[in-house]
This record gives sequence, C-alpha cells and structure tokens, in this order.
Amino acid sequence: MTQRKTCLIKVVSHGDIEQHPEHTVLQALEAQRLDVHYHCREGFCGACRTRLLSGEVDYVIEPLAYINDDEILPCCCRAVTDIELELA
Amino acid sequence: MKYTTFNQVNNDALQEPMFFGNPVNVARYDQQRHNVFEKLIEKQISFFWRPEEVDVSKDRLDFQKLSESEKHIFISNLKYQTLLDSVQGRSPNIAFLPIISLPEVETWVETWSFFETIHSRSYTHILRNLFTDPSAVFNDIVMNDEIKRRATDISRYYDDLIFATQLWQTQGEGSHKTEDGSIYTVTMRELKRKLYLCMCSVNALEAIRFYVSFACTFAFAERELMEGNSKIIRLIARDENLHLTSTQHILNLWAKGKDDPEMAEIAAECQDESLAIFMTAVEQEKQWATYLFQHGSMIGLNKEILCQYVEFIANERMKAIGLPLQFEVNGNPLPWMNNYLMSDNVQVAPQESEISSYLVGQIDAEVSADDFGDFDL
Repeated sequence: MTQRKTCLIKVVSHGDIEQHPEHTVLQALEAQRLDVHYHCREGFCGACRTRLLSGEVDYVIEPLAYINDDEILPCCCRAVTDIELELA
Repeated sequence: MKYTTFNQVNNDALQEPMFFGNPVNVARYDQQRHNVFEKLIEKQISFFWRPEEVDVSKDRLDFQKLSESEKHIFISNLKYQTLLDSVQGRSPNIAFLPIISLPEVETWVETWSFFETIHSRSYTHILRNLFTDPSAVFNDIVMNDEIKRRATDISRYYDDLIFATQLWQTQGEGSHKTEDGSIYTVTMRELKRKLYLCMCSVNALEAIRFYVSFACTFAFAERELMEGNSKIIRLIARDENLHLTSTQHILNLWAKGKDDPEMAEIAAECQDESLAIFMTAVEQEKQWATYLFQHGSMIGLNKEILCQYVEFIANERMKAIGLPLQFEVNGNPLPWMNNYLMSDNVQVAPQESEISSYLVGQIDAEVSADDFGDFDL
C-alpha cells in the first residue's frame, strides 16, 4: 500500500491548509474552523457542494448527490494532489 | 397515448428518456440509463425504519409542560408536516408513474413515495402518544386556512400535470371539451412544460418547506424537549435529504441536456417560472413562521431567525439547480441544525436505540443513577 502524502488545500481568500492524510477535505476545513455547510456527511445530500478550481480528489464514499464537473463534495473525499477550492 | 401496464414494444430502455417515452415493460435493474436512480433506491432501502421502533412515551410529559404558545408551535408544525407527507405519499406515484419510461426511475418514485407513507404513519404514532384522541389535530388540517393555503400551492402543479396526462392518455393531443364545458388543448410540449414546473415545485417542497418544519422540531430537541419526536424527524430528514437529491438530479439532467433534449429547451424557457416557484415557497414559509410564532416565540427560535434560515436554505438550494441567488445571507443562522441532519447521528442499530418493541410492556425509557446503586467495580 502506498503511503498517503499530506496534501495542501488552498482556499481562495482564506489561505493554505494542510490536509491530514486520514482526513476528508471537510474535516481539514473544519480543523481550521472554516464554516462549511453540511448535512449528511455521507455524500448523499449535497449540502457541502464546493467548487474545485484545480487539483484532484478521490472519494472515500461514492457521491450520490448531484455535483457539476467542477464541483466536489468535501464530506466524502480526500485531496490526492494539492487542490484549490473556492468556498461559497 | 394509452397507458399499458406491460408495454409489448421491444424497445431499448437505455435509449428512452426519463418521461414521456415508451411506457416501461421489464422491471430490470442490471442496466440503467441513469444509474444514479438505482443507487438512490439502494440507499433509500438501506434506510428502512418503522415509527414504532422509536419510543415517544416521554414526549407526553414534556408536552404537558410546554407553554400554550409552544404547544401551538409544536402542533401546528406537526400538522404542516402531516400535510406535506400526505401529498408526497401519493402524488409522485399518481403524477409521475403513468408517464415514466425508465424502470430505475419508476422504482425510485415508488420507493420514494413509500417512504413518505412511513413518515405519515409516524405522525399518527407521535400524535396518538400525545393525545388520547388525535382526531381534532387531523381534522384541523383540512379546516385551518394557513394550512389550506399551503396545500393549494403544493398540490396545484401536481393536479395540473395529472389532469393533462389523463386527457392525453384517453384522448391524445388536440383540443378536448370536458364534462363542465371547458376546452383544454393538449400538446406534448405543454405536457412536458407541466411536468417541468411540477418537478420544480416538488423540488422546492423537498428543499425548503420540509426544512422549515425540521428547524422547529429540532429547536425543541435543542432544549431536550420532545426528544422522541425529534428522533423520528431525524429519520424523516435523512430520507428527505435523499428525495431532494433525486429531484435535483432530475432537474439537472434535463437542464444539461443529458436526458430529453426538448426538456433542456423547456428548462431554459421556464427559468423565470422556476425561480418564481422557489420565491413563492420562500414567501409562504415566512408567512408560516409568522403564524407559528403569533402567540410568542420559544427559546432558541423566533420568527426572525426562522425567516433568515429560510433565506439561507433557499440560497443553497437554488445554487444546486443553477438558479441565481436571491438573498444576502451571512452564514447559517441555525448552525445546530447540522447536528440533527448528520447521517452519523441517526442511530439505526436496534441495540443502540430505545426501541419500544424491545422493551416488555414498553415502559422503560429512562435509566437513573439509582439503578446503579448496588453496582461495584
């Protein structure tokens, strides 16, 4: 198994956050006390829908909620490269 | 086109649109044109629950301790939830099933509606526990003007679509005179327009209306009151989250041209109407907040905060279907709502929750410190 590396989450107008390898993007944002809207935390409600400007994520739980091609569900994915997000 | 319960045309379901194609024939789920509906069905079934599993007996004591204005809030809220689920327990079936062309969409709608009937049954469970005879509460739902006003708007688009579909299925496209002498013109384009607006209205119902009622329920739970009721509403909220996801998917599949190309045109044409449906729902929910708090507010929730929450949630939901944002909001005015809407916090394992059917005589809902009196370590 390959070791997960620590990726950087750049949040537009908030600065950079390091993502703990075991954390989801949402957990990483919350650790920095960033206010992200969420409901289910399991990928089926879509409340945390966020725009991904660059980078790649992989999903821990397959998302069921509708997301556009340029959006991610932070509650159920982890960054696999450094990523850039725009919070609403 | 006449409806048939088993369409014998040997069609390829993968080429059909979600609605108004060939009627469905074989109920097969090994292949799907839109596989999200299959996943929604699986997820929804995995959520299965029964109202009787939740012990609401403690709520009766809590209810008696509420002030008159709080009782008004609690009961009116339950009445409204009962109305919403009365509509949702039947309407998707009656309006959508006759015109659906994909087996996965058909089964999704059936599953969705079935869960709404579980919700309706749980309101009876809650009310039976609070009142020896809950008839007065149920009877008021069809007499209360505030509720009736909402019912009119919620059922309007469904009724419109159902009636037009009936005309089309019995008499086809064209102008038809009905029994009362009115003349109706039925075209496929108009049917699809009615379907689109109906879906927008259902989406607004699942997206905004339900959440206003959830906020009221959870505001009681925040004060550790009516917790049995709140446990049930959490289960309902989890289901409604899923239903909302499905209507958002349908609207987006249409708008992005990933289903019926004509529906993409209609979606673009009807953007103003779609927005108006949302805004009407927002306005009505704000009026509802005024009615709820007319005799006074409760700790943690008042008319202003609830109205702010309506605007906040409306913005979120409009964004999800590509509508322009309409309100200036600074964050979530009811941050504690998230704790109740989180799927993790819904206890589903029987051994972990207070399941009355596990308890002999259904009496024990509480364990006090004294029970451990003779317990040594």
